[in-house]
Amino acid sequence: MSRFALPRWSLIAALAALTLVAAIASLLFGAVDLSVARLVDAATGNNDKVASIILFDLRLPRTLLALAVGAMLGLAGAALQGYLRNPLAEPSVLGTSNAAALGGVAAIYFGLADIHPIVLPLLATGGALVSLALLFVLAGKAESPLTLILAGIAVGTLAVAGTSLALNLSPNPFAAMEIMTWLLGSLENRSFDHVWLALPCIAIGTAMLLWNGRALDALTLGEDAAQALGIDLRRMRLRLLVGTAIGVGGAVAVAGAIGFVGLIVPHLIRPLTDRSPSAILLPSAIGGAALLTLADLGVRIIPTTNELKLGVVTAFLGVPVFLIHLMRERRIW
Amino acid sequence: MSPRGLWTLVALPCVAGLLWAASPSPPVKAPAIPQRIVSINLCADQLVLALADKRQIAGLTKNATDTTMSGEAAKARGIPLLSNSAEQILAIEPDLIVGMPASRSAALRALPEHTYPLLDLATANTLDEIYASVRQTAVAVGHPERGTALIARMESELAGLPKPGKGRTAAYYQRRGYMTGTGTLIDELMTRTGLVNLSGKLGKPPLSQLSLEEMVAAEPDFLIVESATDKVNDQGSEMLHHPALKDIPRISVPQAWTVCGSPAYTQAARSMATQIAHIDGSRS
Repeated sequence: MSRFALPRWSLIAALAALTLVAAIASLLFGAVDLSVARLVDAATGNNDKVASIILFDLRLPRTLLALAVGAMLGLAGAALQGYLRNPLAEPSVLGTSNAAALGGVAAIYFGLADIHPIVLPLLATGGALVSLALLFVLAGKAESPLTLILAGIAVGTLAVAGTSLALNLSPNPFAAMEIMTWLLGSLENRSFDHVWLALPCIAIGTAMLLWNGRALDALTLGEDAAQALGIDLRRMRLRLLVGTAIGVGGAVAVAGAIGFVGLIVPHLIRPLTDRSPSAILLPSAIGGAALLTLADLGVRIIPTTNELKLGVVTAFLGVPVFLIHLMRERRIW
Repeated sequence: MSPRGLWTLVALPCVAGLLWAASPSPPVKAPAIPQRIVSINLCADQLVLALADKRQIAGLTKNATDTTMSGEAAKARGIPLLSNSAEQILAIEPDLIVGMPASRSAALRALPEHTYPLLDLATANTLDEIYASVRQTAVAVGHPERGTALIARMESELAGLPKPGKGRTAAYYQRRGYMTGTGTLIDELMTRTGLVNLSGKLGKPPLSQLSLEEMVAAEPDFLIVESATDKVNDQGSEMLHHPALKDIPRISVPQAWTVCGSPAYTQAARSMATQIAHIDGSRS
């Protein structure tokens, strides 16, 4: 038991409050200065067309996506770290996000997404699934946690190269700009179309991952012990694999490959809990939502001529915190 | 003239000789009617295609046949397309190279001896500048009378053009939120059709970036977009189809008419005027 451990429900309540504050701030701030009074007027249906378009068509979908994508990435990080018993496991380090981006890129730039909107999350999910399957095959039985990370780097690098190649092959003269957006992630200019595309995938992914709490706890005793406790390891692996692929696929399809969220959040949450994998699942999801919403707020508030990419902010926010924890916890891991 | 341009003239006497080619007394080197013209710029392609005979043209840029980028693309078929490499130019041995400006071309600098006659055209940002480059090109390719005729045709096409914009605001909004400002060909087209450029109202530079939020708050009466972005094919063009913009009427103009100062200017102006009138008609 860590000395910082909070009772489970008070931790969740505190994180939820933080997330709520982040979400409200995300609705209040943007490129155009609108007074709170004007936004409240727009929200209550007064006849202020500009404010209501900005609030409902621009800021609201963006906020909802930041919450959902952040939650998915935080949860996926927590679940993968628990299952692989590796503190560095998370969708972007393992190459899952980049593989999903490759799927998304293929859907958009070769016109497949025109067939039906669902093709986009479908191909992104497919990309994520292939990368995870490849990863488990490459490093599933390995003794060293490093093997997994190396396999992840290989898979991720391949996916990034594939994304660049696909964009360069596509008849698009603006490929370089597009590559950057896909690889660093952005929530700029998202609409409710994107919310409806991503939300079902993220809901399914979240449900499949949250389901695994007890099995993940049992797994900390080793695979044999877990099986002795009645855990069906094969089904659990399948749930994790498919849940992560669908959720991350949906998130990446609309936001690009945003790094570090799944890495940082479980590390920040873990000291506040009893360190069992099940205890960090839900808090990591809520914490991820708060972190990404705040990062996306930072993107809008930091004055730059071009809007910053989300992945840049998550890296700057996350890496120092992550390093401090790494130094402090080296002995524990 | 910039110090760099001056240097070019001093260092390469042949270039200076060339610039005189447009004047009434041609230098000894340049033939009266060039027979192997090479264009090394997309905008120069269009002027050369409009004014020279096809058999005079020995090479164009690789985008010359792209109908989405050049208003004269149809005429370019069958003419060799060059990839701006010094080797290809060397092999052709052109007797006139047209560029915008030609003397700054990296490919030409790579050639050991700059012995080719060059025609340096300036980027045209106004109708008068278009007329000037038409005249210059027509003389250089040996058909000055075609230049005069083309200018007369353009003038007559623009003479009766109405100004349906009536002082309303328009924004030329490009992929990823770039907005075209004043001092550009687009700005002149807006003025010609009676529109006021939002960018000028907001005091923005010739090319600025405006977020969707800022665009919604600015409430322009029209959005002018490239017709290539009418269809979503990537994230950059997807932005222009955001639901937040759905209530702003759109004027869609092919890039082929506006990216260069070319004879297609009159088509762009007429199309914009027609579309404004059509939008107004469907409203009343």
